[in-house]
Amino acid sequence: MPSNASANDAILVADDIVVRFETPEGPITAVDNVSLMVRPGEFLSVIGPSGCGKSTLFNVIGGLLAEHQGVVTVAGETISGPHKSIGMVFQEESTFPWRTVTDNVGFPLELVGMPKAQRIDRARHFIKMVGLDGFENRYPGELSGGMRQRVSLARTLASEPKILLMDEPFAALDEQTRLLLGDKVLQIQQQLKQTTLLITHNITEAVQMSDRILVMTYRPGKVKRIVDINLPRPRTSEIVGSEAFGRYVAQIWSDLREEASRGMQDEEKHALEHHGAAS
Amino acid sequence: MSPALVGVGALLVALLIVELLIQLNFISRFIVPPPSEIVGSFGRVIVEEHVFSRFLLTLGECLTAGVMLTVFGIAGGVLMHRFRLLQQACETWVAAMAAAPLVLAYPLFMVIFGRNAWTIIMMGFFAALPPVILKTIEGMANTRKVLVNVGRSFNLTPTQQFWKIMFPAALPTIFVGVRLGLIFALINIVGVEFLINYGGLGQLINDLAERYDLAGTYAAICFVILVSVLFFMTLEKAERWLRPID
Amino acid sequence: MATTDRLTRSVAAEPLVSAVTLLRIAIILAVLAIWEFLAHSGLLYRDVVPSLFAIGRALYDLLSHGDYYFNLGVTAAEIGTALLIGGLSGVAVGILLGANRFLSKAFESYLYYLGPTPKIIFFPIMIMWFGVGPGSKIALGTLSCFFPVALSVAAGMRQIDKVLIRVGKSFRASTWQMITKIYLPAMRHPIINGVRLGLGVALIGTLLAETKLSNKGIGFLIINAYSTFDMPRMYAMLVVLFVLAIGANALVGRLGGLEDIKRT
Repeated sequence: MPSNASANDAILVADDIVVRFETPEGPITAVDNVSLMVRPGEFLSVIGPSGCGKSTLFNVIGGLLAEHQGVVTVAGETISGPHKSIGMVFQEESTFPWRTVTDNVGFPLELVGMPKAQRIDRARHFIKMVGLDGFENRYPGELSGGMRQRVSLARTLASEPKILLMDEPFAALDEQTRLLLGDKVLQIQQQLKQTTLLITHNITEAVQMSDRILVMTYRPGKVKRIVDINLPRPRTSEIVGSEAFGRYVAQIWSDLREEASRGMQDEEKHALEHHGAAS
Repeated sequence: MSPALVGVGALLVALLIVELLIQLNFISRFIVPPPSEIVGSFGRVIVEEHVFSRFLLTLGECLTAGVMLTVFGIAGGVLMHRFRLLQQACETWVAAMAAAPLVLAYPLFMVIFGRNAWTIIMMGFFAALPPVILKTIEGMANTRKVLVNVGRSFNLTPTQQFWKIMFPAALPTIFVGVRLGLIFALINIVGVEFLINYGGLGQLINDLAERYDLAGTYAAICFVILVSVLFFMTLEKAERWLRPID
Repeated sequence: MATTDRLTRSVAAEPLVSAVTLLRIAIILAVLAIWEFLAHSGLLYRDVVPSLFAIGRALYDLLSHGDYYFNLGVTAAEIGTALLIGGLSGVAVGILLGANRFLSKAFESYLYYLGPTPKIIFFPIMIMWFGVGPGSKIALGTLSCFFPVALSVAAGMRQIDKVLIRVGKSFRASTWQMITKIYLPAMRHPIINGVRLGLGVALIGTLLAETKLSNKGIGFLIINAYSTFDMPRMYAMLVVLFVLAIGANALVGRLGGLEDIKRT
C-alpha cells in the first residue's frame, strides 16, 4: 500500500519525472512518470531490476542529468543542477588516487574555502565515523575496495548534506563486507538522523536499511509499489535472520521477479535481433 | 554543423582576417605577406624552383635512410633479443640515444661526410635508429609464449622458429617502430637540409628566405607541411593495411 | 645429495661484478680503443677523430672558463622560457580540446598532423617576427614544444576516469576548481610525458636555431667551433650537451615516477 505521507513534511520531492533517451534503435523511455518523496530523517530505498532506470533517476535527483521532464524540489527549492543540500555517493570507485584519505574527505570543505586546520579536524571526525581512524595519511591505492567506498562515503558526509543520495555504493563488494558496511551506514544514519535515498538492486540491503522501499518496474521505469518496512529501530545486520525480515524480502522479490524476468526476456530478444540467432 | 567543416571554416576565417589586417596596414606586409600573395606565389615557386625535383631529392634521401634504418634497426633489435646479455647491457643506452638531441651533431657530420646528401642521410639514419631497435626488441619479447611452444612442439630448428614464428608475430610492433623511425628520419632530413643549405625541400625554404622572397618562403613552408602531412597519412594507411586483425 | 648440490651452486653463483656491467665496460673500452687508434692512424682527415686526450683537454678548457657558463645560461633561459610558454599554452589548449568533443573533432587533427613537421623550417618567419635575438629562438622552442604537450593533455583529458569528474560536479566545483583539483592531478602522467617530449623538442628547436643564426648560446658555440675547425672543442661541447640533455630527460621522468608512490 503506498504510504500517504503528505508532501508538506517531505524534504525531497520528485514530481512526475520522465526521462527519454535517443538510441540508435529509436527513442526509449528510461523513467516514466516517477514520483517520490522522502521525509526528514527517513531512509528510502529505490529497488528495481537492471534497466529499470534507477541510475537515471539517481542522476536526475542529483542534478547531473538536466534533460528530463518533471520537477525535483529540495526543501521547497527546485533544483537546477547539483544542489548543495544533496550529497552523492557513486557506485564506481571514486576516491581521488592522488590524495590521502584526509585530503579526499576534506575535498568538499576545500571547495568552500574552509581553513586548513578546521578542515583536517572535520575530516578526522568523519574518517572516524566510518571506522577508518589510523588511515588518515594513507592513499586510496593502499586500501581495500570496501575501505575506499568508506572514504567516498565519509567525503560526502563531510559536506553535511541534508539528503544523502547513494547509487549502489556496495555493489562491487562481497556479501559479507556489504552486510558489515551496511551496518556501519545504518549506525551513521541513525546517529546523524540523516535523510537517505539509496538506489539498489539488492533486496536484503534494501530491507535491512530502509523505512520504506519503492519498487520500480522494468523499462519504462514506473513506480510499481511502495512498501513500508516496519522493522524496529535501531537495527543491525542481525535483523536478516528474523521472520519479519524474511517476509518482507519474499514480498519484494515476488514483485521484483516479474520485472526482472521481463528484463531478461527483453535482453535476449535484443541480442537476437542485433547479433543474429545462434546457429 | 559538422565539426570538420567548422575546423576548415575557422581556418579560412582566420586567413581572411589576417588578409584584411594586412591590407589595412595593421600588420606590415614586410613581415607577413598577405595570404593572397602567398597563394599566388605557389605557382611561381613550384615551377621556377623545381619543387618537384627537389621533392624527389628529399624523398630519395628519406628512402635511403629508411632502408638503412629498417635493415640495421631490425637486425640490431634481433641481435639484441637473441643475445640477452647484449640487450641487458645496451638497451638503456639505445633508449638514452633516443633522448639525445643527435641532430645537433650535424656540424660534426658535415666535417665527416662533407656538405652533401650523405650528411643528410646519415643524420636521418642515426636519429631514427633507436625507435626501430627498441620496438623490434619489444615485438620479439612480447611474442606469446604459447606460439613459441607450438613451434617447439613441431621440432622447428632455431632458424625456422625465428622466421616462421617469432618474426611474423613481432611484425606489427616492428612496423610501429619503422613508422616512428621514418617520421624521425623525415623530420631530421628536412631540418638538416634547411640548416646546411643543401638538398631538396628544406634547402628551398632556406634559399627563399635568404633571398628575402617572403611570399615564396611562406609558400615553400606550406608546401613542406603539405608533404609531411601526406607522408604521415600514407604511413598510417599502410600501417592499418598491414594490421587488419588489430 | 641433490639438494646440497643445488644449495652450493646457488651460493657460488653470486659474482662480485655482474656480467652485464662487465660487458658494458668491455664495450666502452673497445669503443675508446678503436677511437684512439683511428685518431692516431691518419686514416681520416686530421682532427675529424681527435685523440681522446685532446678532447679531454678541450673539455677541461671548456668547463673552466666562465664564458661557457654564460652561453649555457643563455640557452637554458631560452629553453626554460620556451617550455614555460609552450607548456602552459599546450596544457590550456589540451584541456579545451579534451573537454569538448566538438572542438576536438574540428581542430585536433591539425595539431596531430602539424606535430611531426620539423619546426626549424619556421625559423625564417620567427626571425622576421621576433628579430635576430633570443626572441626568435624562444619562439621556435615554444612552437616546438606546444604540440606534444597539447596532444598529450588532450588525450589525457579523455582518459580521466569519468566518475572523478562527476564527483567534482556533484560537489558543485567551479570550473577553475575542476581544472586545478581534478583535471590536472588526474592527468599528471600524461602531462609529465608531454613535458618530457616537449623538453626534448624545445631543446632541439632552440639549439638548432642558435646554430643557424645567433651570437650567443651553446648552439652558437658549436657552430663557431665548426667554422674554426676546432674539433676537440666541438666534441667536448657535444659530449656535455648530450649528458645534460639525457640528464634533464631522466629528471623529468623521475618526477613522473615519484607520482607512482601515490599509486595510480
